[in-house]
This record gives sequence, C-alpha cells and structure tokens, in this order.
Amino acid sequence: MSTLDLSKLESSPDLLISQGDDKDSLVISMGPQHPSTHGVLRVMLKLDGETVITSESEIGYLHTGIEKQAENLFWQQAVTVVDRADYLAPLSNSLCYVLAVEKLLGIDAQIPVRAQVLRVIFTELTRIASHLVQLGTHAMDLGAQSIFMYAFEMREQILRIMEFVTGARMHQSWFRVGGLALDVPVGFIALLDKFIESFPERLSDMRAILEKNVIIMDRLIGVGRISAADAIAWGLTGPNLRGSGVAYDVRKALPNSGYENYDFDICVHDGGDCYSRFVVRLNEMYQAWRIIKQGRDRFPGGPVVIDDPKIVPPAKTVIQHSMEALIHHFKLVSSGFNVPEGRIYQSVESPRGELGMYVVSAGGNKPWRVRWRPPSFYNLQALGALAPGNLIADLVAIIGSLDPVFGEVDR
Amino acid sequence: MEMSPHQPYITTKLDEFANWARTSAIWPMTMGLACCAIEMMSIVSPRYDTSRFGAEVFRSSPRQSDLMIVSGRVSNKMAPILRQLFDQMPDPKWVISMGACASSGGIFDNYAVLPGVDRILPVDVYVPGCPPSPDAVIFAIMQLRKQIEAGGKAMVLAKNA
Amino acid sequence: MPEQPPVGAERTRTAALLDSLRAALGDDLLEAVSAADMDEAAIVPSALLHAVDVLRSAGFNMLADIGVVDHHPLSPRFEVAYHIQAIDAAAKPVVPVRFRLRVFPDDAEPVVPSLVSVWPNSNWAEREAFDLFGIRFDGHLNLKRILMPDDWVGYPLRKDYPLRGTDRDFVAGGRQGTVPPVNP
Repeated sequence: MSTLDLSKLESSPDLLISQGDDKDSLVISMGPQHPSTHGVLRVMLKLDGETVITSESEIGYLHTGIEKQAENLFWQQAVTVVDRADYLAPLSNSLCYVLAVEKLLGIDAQIPVRAQVLRVIFTELTRIASHLVQLGTHAMDLGAQSIFMYAFEMREQILRIMEFVTGARMHQSWFRVGGLALDVPVGFIALLDKFIESFPERLSDMRAILEKNVIIMDRLIGVGRISAADAIAWGLTGPNLRGSGVAYDVRKALPNSGYENYDFDICVHDGGDCYSRFVVRLNEMYQAWRIIKQGRDRFPGGPVVIDDPKIVPPAKTVIQHSMEALIHHFKLVSSGFNVPEGRIYQSVESPRGELGMYVVSAGGNKPWRVRWRPPSFYNLQALGALAPGNLIADLVAIIGSLDPVFGEVDR
Repeated sequence: MEMSPHQPYITTKLDEFANWARTSAIWPMTMGLACCAIEMMSIVSPRYDTSRFGAEVFRSSPRQSDLMIVSGRVSNKMAPILRQLFDQMPDPKWVISMGACASSGGIFDNYAVLPGVDRILPVDVYVPGCPPSPDAVIFAIMQLRKQIEAGGKAMVLAKNA
Repeated sequence: MPEQPPVGAERTRTAALLDSLRAALGDDLLEAVSAADMDEAAIVPSALLHAVDVLRSAGFNMLADIGVVDHHPLSPRFEVAYHIQAIDAAAKPVVPVRFRLRVFPDDAEPVVPSLVSVWPNSNWAEREAFDLFGIRFDGHLNLKRILMPDDWVGYPLRKDYPLRGTDRDFVAGGRQGTVPPVNP
C-alpha cells in the first residue's frame, strides 16, 4: 500500500502557481517551442534562484482528436489513426488495438503463429528504435551531440527493415485485425540476420560511452528521484516504474501474442532517479534484441492472417476467379465488419509503459469508443512531483528521462 | 554575377549577392510538432546529413532562424503560437509545410486540427508524405534554394531601397 | 462474445472483493459482472469514494485510467470507467490484479466525486474527462480544460458533437481564412 503524503500533493500539481505573489520567486514559461521539451510541452516554472519550487505542465498543443476520428472509421481502418498516437512506437499502438478488437470478435485464439511471431519481432524492433530516439535526444539535452548521431544511425538500420517489409518508415499500419497486412518479402530474413548480428556490438559501444560516463552520472544520479510507492500512486509504468524497482512489465505479467514463450528478463533498477531510468532503457534494448533473436530462430511458416473472409479480405488471386470472394471483398471495403457488442480493456507494454485501450463496441461496423490509457500522459503528470527541489538545468534531464511522446499525451 | 578576368573583384547586385549567401546557409528552427519532427531530426543524422547544403544549423530561437519547418499536425491550440513564432523570425523567412497533416490536415479531418497550415502562414514548399522521408525534406530544401536563388520574396533590399 | 477465461488466482481475489463491495455498498452497487477481461462493478456516483476505500483496503493502489464513454442516445448516457489495479511492489514479476468500477452520472448534469484526494494522478485524467465530455468532478480544485484551448465551446468527444466541430474555421486569435500579412 502506498502512503501518499497529502501535504506534498497540495503544493505539487498545477494548482498553485498563480496563487500568491511572493516577490522573491520568478515565474518563467518554458515551451511550447523548446528544444528540450521533446515536443510541444509548456512548463510554467516558479523559481527560487535556480531551484524549481513549482512546475506546472500545460499540454494539449498537439491534440489531434484521434479518439473521435477512430470512432468515425471502420474497425479495420481505425488502425491507421491508432498508429499515429504514439509516433515513436506506432506498432505497439496498433498491437494493442488489434488485440482488443480480436478479443471482442472472439478470434484471438485463431491468430496464426507466424503472425504472432512477426508481431513480437516488429514490436520489439519498434521498442529498440523508440529507446534509441529517447537515448539520443536525452543525451543531446545533456550536451552530448555525438550520441544523437550514433543513435539515429542505429535507428536507421531498423527503419530500413521496416521500410523493406511494410513500405513505410514510421507509420506502418502493418498489424491488422486478424493478422498482418502482408507477409514479409523475400530477403527479410537476411536483413534481420544482419541486424541481429551487428546490433549487440553497437549497443555495447553505446553502453561503453554512456553507462559509466562521468558527465552522464553527474547529471543524472540523484536527479528526479521518486520512490516505488509514489511511482505507483502517480500511475507511472514502464521504464519509469521499473527504474524505481518495481518489476512490472505487461509482457511478463499479462502476456499476449505468445510473449510467455520468450526468455527475457525484466530490467529493474533501484535508484528511482533519472540514471536508473536511463540504465533500464539501455538494458531493455538488449532484452528486446534477445526476443527478436528468439523470434527469428523459431520463425514458423504458414499464413499470416486468419482464414475468415468475413474479417480479412480474400487474396487478390482468389478474387479474380471467385464471385463469392469478390462479394466478400466488396463488403469489407464498403462497409467493414461488425463487432459484437462488448467492452474490453487491453494492455500491452509499449516503450513508455502500460499502454491500455478501453474499446467499447455497440455492435456496429465502427468502434463506439476507443479510450487510450496513454502511458506518457500519466508519466508526464508526475513531473509536477519530480521537478520541485531540483535545479532548472536538471529539468530537461527529468523531462527527457520520463520520455513523453506528445502524440500520445495529447492524442 | 560577373568576375573580372584580371582583377581581384567581382561586380554584382547586392540582392543577388545576399541571395547567393542565403542559399547555402538556411538555418531551420528547432520546432518539432508531431511524427514528422522525428524525420526532421533524421535529416541531420549521418545518413542524410543536411550540412552538405548548409542547413544543419538548427536554431532554438526564432530570432536566429530563416526557415520554419512545420513538422506535423497543427492543432487549434497551437496555431496562434505558431503564428507568433513566425512573426518573431527576421526577414527574409521561409516556411516548409512538412507532411500531409501540415499541408492539408491529412487524415485528421476533425475539430481539433487545422486543415492546412497555409491558413495562418505563407507556405513556400509543401512536402507530401505521412511522414515524408528525410530525403523528401532535403528535396524540399533544395527546391527552396532554387526559390531563393531566383529572388522571389527574398528581394528585400531592392524593395526597401 | 468470447468464452470466459479460466478463473485464475487473480479472479478469486476480485471475486472476494465483489462480496465485500456488496456488503459495504448495499443498494448503491447496481451490478457486479465478471467480464471477459476483468471483474467490474457498476455503482451510483455518490458511492464512488466509499467503493474506492474498499478497493484501497484490499490493496488496489494504482489508478490505471479514467475512461469516459458516451452512450448517447441511450440513458444513462455517460459511463465513467475507472480501471484500478493492485500492484505488489515487492513481487518479481509483478502480476497486477485489475478491477473496473463503472459509474453512471446524471445525463443533464453529470457530476462524479473527484479522486484527487486519493490518487494524485486522477488530476489530469479528470480534467480530460471534463474537457472532452463535460463531466464535472466534485472536489477537484483545478477543473479546467486541459487538451482544448481555454475558450473552446462544447465537449468534442460527446456523440452529439460533430466530428468536424461546430465551427470548422475556428482558429484561436481570430486568424482564419486568408493568410495574414507577413509584416503586420
């Protein structure tokens, strides 16, 4: 049970910055256009000298209406807008969405093994790519330009695989209800093998530069500390919670897509500060690589979609010869499929934490409601509790270590 | 621009000289909005490297930048801020509308998103894509260089003279 | 509907919880369902804090999410769904136990008690529910818009709000239509 200090609460979250006019403090506005806020975050800071007294976040500058938009698209079409919420890990988003819809349809047990393995491989590739962006920009905030270059070059290798397989570098929309949009092309395994072979060495290079780096340690250790109980009370998940020593990982706790068959460790660090979160992410990239390697080793054959023409359009070659298949295709394109009435909360482990979706169906061919549980939204909210007491220069380190993605915070 | 064959000087118009200098030193503003911002960051990464064209110096302040890359969907809440940032940039200045959302609202045809940033900013180059690949952004910068070389709205000196 | 999953250890824990909720709330508990994904209870809004007390004493220490659903034109129209989970920080690995509380406030004047005094992270979630659905949270100290501009009219995620908004050309600051001059 958490024991939350209520007196601390009253002075922390976005409540009191405009109250009182004590002459000794300085109020400054940081953002929404600021290189270190990782997007369009605005932070109102009340400072005493260089120490942050209160920090109040203003979000919503990227509110896109994704939830409303998804309600106005067919179930299958909504995958495209779902992708664009957390734009650093689009496949984690679509994984969560398609799992929820598949459970509502009752077809979750029929998903072919090949599709599941590919889903796992690509979700983990996305995780590495996302952590690399976080690492690069976080290091750049701390003043290390070269790490950004290394990280983005490593990310390019992953994006090359993505582009080769799905045709898109970022918003793949490759996971579909019932399986995958397409099978992988010839040559994918060779490309993946090249990545699997080269990645550990480059990761250990990165680790050698960063993990025991004096500047990194000086800037991160002891900064933005949060205890396990507070982290739970603030609803932190993902690396931010594991950085406080709580071994909560949705992939282990409530596995989907066959994650229970993979051998990997939950990365935990006890410090609760920015450095712990940073180390957790570094280690997680290695664990993700392990999962990808196991997925590649077992890589089964077979179809990548379920055999159900009511949900998945038949193959083009079949449509050309079969009237019935043509009708199925026409029905799916023009009016989609219906999903039985129901509601479900589905969660996956996105690179930022527990990504949940509360999907409600009213029985029609469009979602009635797709409610995100955006991990960044809750992670970022804790900034109001983390920032006070730290120096203003450390604020960018704290924001960077929370790894917010504003497409997801604002949706 | 004429170069004298035997003399150590050239004769040119001041505007043309200024534009020649501007062409190779377009400084974009560090302003990421959404998904496109990640691809915008990629253009300075080793694989794409816009420093070949003098456009790698991302400035964090609008007062120091020539180019605003509107990288992503512009919400109604962000629109006035975007306009203010643009007004803060010194002349001459250019705008690249990066991606489908910035150009037209893209797939987000709804209450929250501005249907095209050209409602509030004068856009010089539109880049299609969702998100456009970094090559496409570099291509847009090359197009912009052509515009600048040709004069266009950069003829500030002649206009004010 | 999919088949019910086998009842595991977590389910027996929440089943016991349903009994204690039933005992504590009496008639305020409208419905207790064992849904496909987790157990859930539908309660009247005034009993929310009481129900949360019961949950907290049973070890449910994390508010995962507050999601609002607009069932328009059905009545009750609004559903506020609290996803609450129990996380045992010492366990390795942590397997959360999940529970969903569904609250159905009034259609015309939707008011729900605020949980800010219990879970600090309900602050933004409640502000978002207010912003997008117009649900009021009694006891919230700073209930103002969070995602939309402060001067926005209407609650965009309500089902009777058109997708393209009521005023498509709205741009805060009055700048719309033609591009304003570059050097004003």
